[in-house]
Amino acid sequence: MPLEILLVLVGGGIGGITLLLHLTGKSRQRVLTPGSARSEWARHAPDDTVTDVTLTHDGHVALIRTPAGVGLLWAFGADTVARPLQDFDWLDHPRGVRIQFHDFGAPGVVIRLDDLERKHWRHLLETA
Amino acid sequence: MTDQLTFPDAVQWAVPFFIAAILAEFLWIAIKGRGGRYETRDAVTSLIMGAGNIASGFLLGFIAYGFFMWLWRIAPLDLGTSIPVIVLCFVLDDLRYYWVHRFGHRIRWVWASHVNHHSSQHYNLTTALRQTWTYTFTFMMVVRAPLILLGFHPAMVLFVGGLNLIYQFWIHTEAIGKMPRWFEAVMNTPSHHRAHHGRNARYLDCNYAGVFIIWDKLFGTFVPEQDDDRVDYGLVHNIGTFNPLRVAFHEWVAIWRDATQPGLSLRQRLAYCFAPPGYSHDGSRDGSDAIKAKHLARHPEDHGTPGFERFDKKMPNTQAKNA
Repeated sequence: MPLEILLVLVGGGIGGITLLLHLTGKSRQRVLTPGSARSEWARHAPDDTVTDVTLTHDGHVALIRTPAGVGLLWAFGADTVARPLQDFDWLDHPRGVRIQFHDFGAPGVVIRLDDLERKHWRHLLETA
Repeated sequence: MTDQLTFPDAVQWAVPFFIAAILAEFLWIAIKGRGGRYETRDAVTSLIMGAGNIASGFLLGFIAYGFFMWLWRIAPLDLGTSIPVIVLCFVLDDLRYYWVHRFGHRIRWVWASHVNHHSSQHYNLTTALRQTWTYTFTFMMVVRAPLILLGFHPAMVLFVGGLNLIYQFWIHTEAIGKMPRWFEAVMNTPSHHRAHHGRNARYLDCNYAGVFIIWDKLFGTFVPEQDDDRVDYGLVHNIGTFNPLRVAFHEWVAIWRDATQPGLSLRQRLAYCFAPPGYSHDGSRDGSDAIKAKHLARHPEDHGTPGFERFDKKMPNTQAKNA
């Protein structure tokens, strides 16, 4: 196949499918509830027993407590990703807090916090 | 011996079909309200990985092809290009694919290339295109050497390999439940391959087939999809990025970090590169056997069911402790 045609097909295909998915509402972030956060953590870490869940007000991030320690669960598109809160840094961010993991496959997440919850989450992260 | 032989690049010619099939699957899901899920960034990442795979073929394909042509010059046989020879080449290449794929899950160096194909938590036709950019660096092209030395021309070997990949495209879907029984018995199907993409303990390291599922049945790695254990797609430790560069290279970076940490013996460093995924020098990580054993400790009722046959029911706790 001529290279020009291949490039047009690949570029047009990716662009068209992206537009179609976005316009049909497939870009929405997962919203968690305390119950779904527990079950999602259990999916990622089946050996753990969740003892407490703290959700952000927007429902996109949850701080998870287990007997083994503290972890973070966050919406990743329509799905979730979980990491224990070990070997990480956190920084203030205009919209809340930025967590940076030292993990090339999960570099970090911005936790969006409103004014009411910002102080509480800072405390949670300082003690994690 | 024929040096100049050309076959079409089947994968490139299949690109319009890939796009049309993705649109058809998306419409099917939208109309029926079942049969899979799509998410924008996940799908875009998969498509970019597919485009990058083709680009890496343009950039690095000469290495494998040069190796194959060198082998061809020393090959004692030339089987020609008759239809039966092409069919035989296709079947033998599928056996080659089974072993490369199995190595891809059991040798971390090869897993570093293949892992990106499993890094989506979705399972739809775009997932089929989430392909490696770094296959050349695994040196798995050597597994094709016997075919060429047997007298199959390198161009033919690459052509049937392309057909193999095209076959595997359509099985990356939840829109198809089960195929007719005879077909499920012989061929790789959406059901068999869904199980392969599962991160559930039951489905780890199973169903490596490309086209013919008989290889898994022959070599003891077949696990049928279970109605009561819905497949959970993705990695044991799912990645948290849609960045194609991170998707393509994250396991290579992890190998580097593991193998270069201070205080390890040479054997431990090599094990971080070539042992099965999940190896750690201090036992802090779980491989697939340990994950299965821990699952059985939590769910003893699963003893002896598909995917757990190797675990002795009489001593579940021993294996769980070892895990």
